[in-house]
Formats: sequence, C-alpha cells, structure tokens
Amino acid sequence: MTALNLAWRTVRRYRAQTLLAITGVAVIGALLFDMLLLSRGLLVSFADLLDRAGYDIRIVSGGGMTLRLPIPRSAEIARAVAALPEVDRVVSLRMMTAALHVNGQPRAANVTLVGVSDVGAGLWTIVRGADLPDRANDASCPLVVGPQLAETFGLSPGSDVLVNAEESGVASALPPVTCRVVGIGQFAFAVPGNDDVATTLAAFHRSSGEAMSGDADLILVASRDTAGPARAAAAIQRLRPGASVYSNEDVVEQFNRSGFAYFRQISIVLSALTMVFAFLLVATLLTVSVNQRLGEIAALRAIGIGRRRIAAMLMWESALLVGVGGLLALPLGEALALGLDHILRQMPGLPEQLHFFVFERRALVIHLGLLIATAFAAAAYPMWLTARMPIAATLRREVVD
Amino acid sequence: MAIVTAQDVSRVFPMPAGPVTALRDVSMTIAAGEYVAITGPSGCGKSTLLHLLGGVDTPTAGAVTFEGRDLVSMSEADRGRLRLTRIGFVFQRFFLLPMLTAAENVELPQAEAGVAAAPRRDRTRELLAYVGLSDRADHLPSQLSGGEMQRAAIARALANRPALVLADEPTGELDESTSDHIADLFDRVNADGTALLVVTHNPALAARATRRLAMSSGRFIG
Repeated sequence: MTALNLAWRTVRRYRAQTLLAITGVAVIGALLFDMLLLSRGLLVSFADLLDRAGYDIRIVSGGGMTLRLPIPRSAEIARAVAALPEVDRVVSLRMMTAALHVNGQPRAANVTLVGVSDVGAGLWTIVRGADLPDRANDASCPLVVGPQLAETFGLSPGSDVLVNAEESGVASALPPVTCRVVGIGQFAFAVPGNDDVATTLAAFHRSSGEAMSGDADLILVASRDTAGPARAAAAIQRLRPGASVYSNEDVVEQFNRSGFAYFRQISIVLSALTMVFAFLLVATLLTVSVNQRLGEIAALRAIGIGRRRIAAMLMWESALLVGVGGLLALPLGEALALGLDHILRQMPGLPEQLHFFVFERRALVIHLGLLIATAFAAAAYPMWLTARMPIAATLRREVVD
Repeated sequence: MAIVTAQDVSRVFPMPAGPVTALRDVSMTIAAGEYVAITGPSGCGKSTLLHLLGGVDTPTAGAVTFEGRDLVSMSEADRGRLRLTRIGFVFQRFFLLPMLTAAENVELPQAEAGVAAAPRRDRTRELLAYVGLSDRADHLPSQLSGGEMQRAAIARALANRPALVLADEPTGELDESTSDHIADLFDRVNADGTALLVVTHNPALAARATRRLAMSSGRFIG
C-alpha cells in the first residue's frame, strides 16, 4: 500500500472536493499557461517574422532602427558587403508612402512602395502572376501588389496603375509614373489595413524623383551558415566602421528591452497572481480535507504509521490534484490563447504574421515546474499539521466531538 | 514478565482556564498474557492512562517502560515503531481508513512494518478468518456493520503480532449483542497469548477481564 495508492484512493473517495480542485487548477493553470505564452510570444513571433525572409543582419542609416533615412552610397556598401566571405546574399530596400491611382477608381490607394535591388529576395511570395523581372529595363515599372489591394481595386497581372511616391504627409508636384502589375504577392511583413507594393529599386527612384544614386534606407544581409550572423555583422563593422549594423538578435533584444517589456511585466505579475490563486485553492482544499480526517490520521499515527508515509500521502494528493488540473489546463489554455490572440491581433498597425501567444517548449517546462512547486507549497501546511498533530489529544477530541 | 509499567505517572493538561490534572501519581503493571479492564466515569483519566501506556502521549511526571524501554525518553519515531510492532490499538470509533477495504486496512500496518506482500496477504487472510470476516475482506468500511468494523479494527490491531492490545471503549458504539461478540473475540485474543488492556464503561466487558481496576479523578480507587 504505497503513499501514492493511498492518495489515489483518497482523491477518488472525496469526489466533489477533487472535482472542485481539479476544475479550479485547470482554469487557473490555463491562465498561467497563457501568461507564460504571452511573456515571450510577441518576441518569439517577432523573431520568427524577422527570420522568415531569410536575412539575419540589417544595415541602416545613422538614424537607427526606427528612423528610416537613406544610407549614403548604399549601393557601394551593398556590393562591398556582398563580397565578404561571411555573407551569402544582400538586398537593398527603399520605402516610401505612395498614392496609387487605378483607372476607373474614384480615389487613390495609399500604399507603402518598396523598392528592392534584388528580385526573389524572399520578402514576398507570389500567389498569382509573375515576380518582378530579373533585370527591369530602365523605362519599365513592374509592380507586385498584395492580394487585399488587388481585390479592392480589381487589379490583376497586366493592370496598369499610376504611382505618385511622396514622403508621408508631404504633397508631391511630381507627375505620376505609369507602372504595370506583374504579380500578386503575399508580403512577409504585411500589416492589415496597410497595403504594400513592391517594385525594383530603379523604378522606385524614378517614381520618387530621387537621383539614380541607388540609395536605400535598409540593406538586408544573409550570413553564410558557416559564419553565422555574429561573425558576419562583425565583418561588416570592420568593413564599414561607421555603419549601423544589427543582427536579428540585436533587433529582437532592442525590442525586448523597450516595446515588449510591457507584456513581459504584465505576464509576470499575472503569472505570480495565478500561482498564488492555485496555491491558495489547493492548500485550502487539502487543509479542509485533512481537518475532516483528523481522527483517521491520528489513529494512523497511533497504530504506528509513520509521519513520512502520511506526509507522502498528502504530497501525492496535492500532486494528483495539481497534476490532473495542470494537464487539463494545457488544452484549455491553448484554446483561450487562440481566442485572445485573435482579439489582440485586431490592434491596428501589426503585421499579419505577428502573434501574441506562441507555443514554446520552454513555456511548457516552466508551466509544469511552477505547478510542481505549487503542489509542494500547497501540501506543506497540511503536512506540517499532521506531523505536529498531538495524537492523544486529537483522538480524545474526535471521540468527545 | 511485565510488558508495560507505569510508575507514579501524572498528566496535566494546560487549559485556558487553568491546568487540568487528568492523572495523579498512578502506577500499574501489565504482565504478559494478562487481561486488564479499567472502568470509571467519563473524565476520570482512563483513556489518558491508556494513551500513556501505549506511547501516544507522554506523562508530565513519572515513568513508563515498555518491555524494559523508557517510553518517555524515546524519540517519537522510535515510539511510532514500537507502537507499530509491539502494540495494537482498538478505538471506540474504529478509525478504519474509509477508502480501503477491510483486508487493505489489515494489510496497512504490516506494509508499514516492511512485511513482504505474500506473507502479508497470508496473515491478513488468517486474521480476517480469525475475526470471522473472511467473506467481507473486499468490503469497504462503509459496507460493514459497526460490529464488523470493530472486528476488522481488531484484526488490524493484531496484524503485526503485538505483545499488548489497548482497547479504548471498544464497545462504545455497539449494541449489547454485538458488544458480547466483541467481548468473546477479546477473550480469544487473550487466550491466544496477547495481553489486553480494555478501558470501558461496559460492566459485561469489564467482567471478562482477569484483573479489574476502577478509576476516579485521576487515581485508582479499587
């Protein structure tokens, strides 16, 4: 008759109490699991988003990651970086807001025009039509547009549109450039309500009226597998000591310190609260259960059943309640996370692929670890109660009562 | 040969209204194979004395020795081990574990004492037959009558072949006829060589003992 066997029989005997404890732990555990997913979910999702395009290093102007300014002599830098042995491939990007006029449509579409130096850069996936041509001739302005924009404005491969590139909020006197849609593509960094349109860097400069300097405001670099992003970033820094070079890890770390700290703090506070609730629930129910069984337990001690076996039985009771509740918490938490993620992703300005709740093995391990700690903590007081119980006085009280 | 000896034991309980003396300088010895009954009004100290002799409580003054070993200076773990192997307890309210069958309740102290599974099962079968519960072995306490529960509790008390069985009001919750059956069972237990101390209000049960003691206000009066 092991302590686990005794505990199992006990939780089966007190069914209402057991059901209450398991339900409570499952609900609280689901919230705990969600808080753990939330604590790093946005960060993991953001890192995944950055990695998705296949580039692990960014070179920006001196304005840092947030302020997008053209990088002087970016074409030269891109060429030099591409020649480094640690670097696999390089793509230069320039972004600007633009107005897109479609024949027969009463109003223009406000889009983000993205000029890229290299087609097939992995920043979008073609779902219909063709990608940007490898070598666009100087006069052409090929476009890849997002599915939402294509549907709203009835665009398809072959459609002609007029593009007016302009700095945000600044009216442009430049004549619009005629461009042709060559394909419909799903953009990796697409933000709902904000349409992206991609073209070649040359066409971008033509439509924006910028000098044909090839200046980009972002250079994406993919390191070679043999080198890795840290070594490649260091090589770029050596090549261009003044350049602002960030690996994806640096970007994630920077956002972790600033933007995501808020979610982490909330989730830590809520995780701690849910832990306290789980502890209080199980500790209270176990204490009530022990108080109901004081006579039995005193008699067990009287007939020579050791404190250790009784303590182990209570420990197992706690572990069974928290364990079963904690396991049920996983699917419940996952379902709750899906719902909450859907609600939170309605916030404007977030990339479509960004999630707040992301499953990680780490979260699962922490969840189980915290629940095990809760089970131990919740059993501690009832165990202490039975270990310190005065046997004779308890037996006497049970008979008198 | 003495199994248990109490020498000038007193037990004072601290209470909010002031200390209450439950036992005053009581001395007694129970010899091997003896059958002793203690009677007296409620609160006279019978159960307190039984608890001291059984090592579940320690006296405020005086000494208790069990088979020559001083119970007072012994650690709780050692007293627990002694209770497990040398003393059997029978309670007024049976205190069987409600989630275990009669057989499992009898097996429990044997398992705690480290008896292997096969001899444990054999001993349990033998004991349940001894108390007349062979056909109720797999029943939970809630499926047994009061008399059957007390018989299962007696079987549990005998599980590790104790030298002494201490019974505290063993017929307190039973009707007269059932009490007689329990008294018969105690006679058999004693006849088979186990010393018995029964604390009871039941004169018929006390009359079965070979030595009867009466208590009042924490002292023996006869």
